[in-house]
Amino acid sequence: MNSLWDSRPIRFSTYAAGLLIGAVLWEYFGGKVNPSYGAPLSATAKRFIFLVSNGQLQDAVLGSLQLYFVGFISAVLAASLFGLLMSRLNYLRVGFENYIMLLYATPMIAMVPFIKSVLEIGFAAKFTVVFLFGFFPVLYNTLEGARSVKPEMVEVAKSFRSGEFALWRDLLIPHTVPFILTGIRQGAGRALVGVVAAEFLISSSGLGGLIQDQQGKYSMSGVFASITVLTAMGLLLMWIGRVLENRMAAWRGLNR
Amino acid sequence: MSVDTEADAAASGQGVKPARIAISGAGKRYGDLQVFQDINLEFNEREIVTVVGPSGCGKTTLLRCIDGLMPVSDGEVRIEGDLMTQPREGVAMVFQHFGLFPWKTVTQNVGYGLKLAGVSRAEIDEKVPYFVKLVGLEGFESVYPYQLSGGMQQRCGLARALAMEPSVLLMDEPFAAVDAQTREILQFELLRIWEMRPMTMVFVTHSIEEAVLMGDRVVVLKGRPSSVFETIDVDLPAPRDRSTLAHPRFAELREHVWATLMDEVRAAEFDVR
Ligand SMILES: Nc1ncnc2c1ncn2[C@@H]1O[C@H](COP(=O)(O)OP(=O)(O)OP(=O)(O)O)[C@@H](O)[C@H]1O
Ligand SMILES: [Mg+2]
Repeated sequence: MNSLWDSRPIRFSTYAAGLLIGAVLWEYFGGKVNPSYGAPLSATAKRFIFLVSNGQLQDAVLGSLQLYFVGFISAVLAASLFGLLMSRLNYLRVGFENYIMLLYATPMIAMVPFIKSVLEIGFAAKFTVVFLFGFFPVLYNTLEGARSVKPEMVEVAKSFRSGEFALWRDLLIPHTVPFILTGIRQGAGRALVGVVAAEFLISSSGLGGLIQDQQGKYSMSGVFASITVLTAMGLLLMWIGRVLENRMAAWRGLNR
Repeated sequence: MSVDTEADAAASGQGVKPARIAISGAGKRYGDLQVFQDINLEFNEREIVTVVGPSGCGKTTLLRCIDGLMPVSDGEVRIEGDLMTQPREGVAMVFQHFGLFPWKTVTQNVGYGLKLAGVSRAEIDEKVPYFVKLVGLEGFESVYPYQLSGGMQQRCGLARALAMEPSVLLMDEPFAAVDAQTREILQFELLRIWEMRPMTMVFVTHSIEEAVLMGDRVVVLKGRPSSVFETIDVDLPAPRDRSTLAHPRFAELREHVWATLMDEVRAAEFDVR
């Protein structure tokens, strides 16, 4: 039973067959429905090429990526630093803990109209949306990790006369990094949602804007082409997250 | 300072060096819990003192106070005349739970204390292999702790402490988590290492045999709150080795310590129910 799936060619061809069937179904049913509801694969691919040839798609991808990375990288840096600080400073932790739980539980999309009314419709508002989408998952996991540093290990560090800086370098950060990476994996997807939400709800731009634009032109194939690109971005981000986690896994003896 | 004390000692005709560690009137409370009280002990240079006592009597707490990880509530602990309020250079501790950093290799773990002490890269690179070899871990330099057995992890913890070339080595049940055979091997290796470079060693253990085998003196902690019930001089011939275990005096001393502790252990068992 197992040995069947050990064979690479068999695994690969099953995999390919799955994709092929999906493509055929898309092509068949996409062609049958009303064009204002759907589009077949071939039309989507054609539209994709068209959007690339006039440069619209690249612009949209670049716009979205820029928003994504500026927003999410800031969120990761801020959240991990704040989380580590909170674990070392009791008054920060006690003072903020409740708010973090509240905000972590709040669907961030509900905050978008508020952000729009405060920050108007520029890049700052969109940045804030993406930042907030990505911030709390990272913060929550960082806190979780930093809190789980064993007091015995802090004692070891103190016994060897570690200063605060060395304590972060040798104990706090290495211990917390895997948790931060879990936070990044969770936040990466959310931040992408944040990008599209900001582009829909704050002002039209990037891939979110392209989807709206194509819909306005009654081009479902254009909408699908844009969604496909977003899917690819999501997959790429998940892959990056997993590679990072695997690299950190060496000392944990995990082979994933 | 130490010159003065030596001069005083000489003047008063004692001619002995002052104790390296002096604990006087020491007591420790965690909140309402009085762990130990009125402990008076002196540990000399080149001396191994073992500390036995029932579980929960405050052996680890006492070591923490000696290491300066926490202050005593009453009395004082002095090492080479200095009041211990924080960890001090020249004092190193081996932990019962090993306390290795899982993300550091053996080499990095052993070099940890040296790096913190500001020792140069070159010197660390030179010293670490020596101590890795000393504890018999050669060949495992770039291995992570999870890839080591319990006994090997404790060797690594020992090498990390020895690399500091401490004048005081504090050991908290270092061999409690390893199997009996490994334990015996480690005991004799530690004695061999100590002989090469004698220092003040405070060795906490659950095992009466180990206490008698390793110690020049055995301190028995007893009572709730605990204090020093008895200090037993171990007059066994040096060097201690496997033949010591067969020495008639060894059996006598072991029985003596055992009898001293037994009442307490029995009482502790009833406490738990
Ligand atoms: N940080 C702490 N806060 C409060 N109580 C503590 C703390 N550490 C230890 N205790 C308590 O103090 C007592 C002595 O603990 P300690 O760990 O020193 O005992 P021990 O002799 O080392 O025990 P064992 O032989 O099991 O290691 C115990 O009752 C323990 O519950
Ligand atoms: Mg203990």
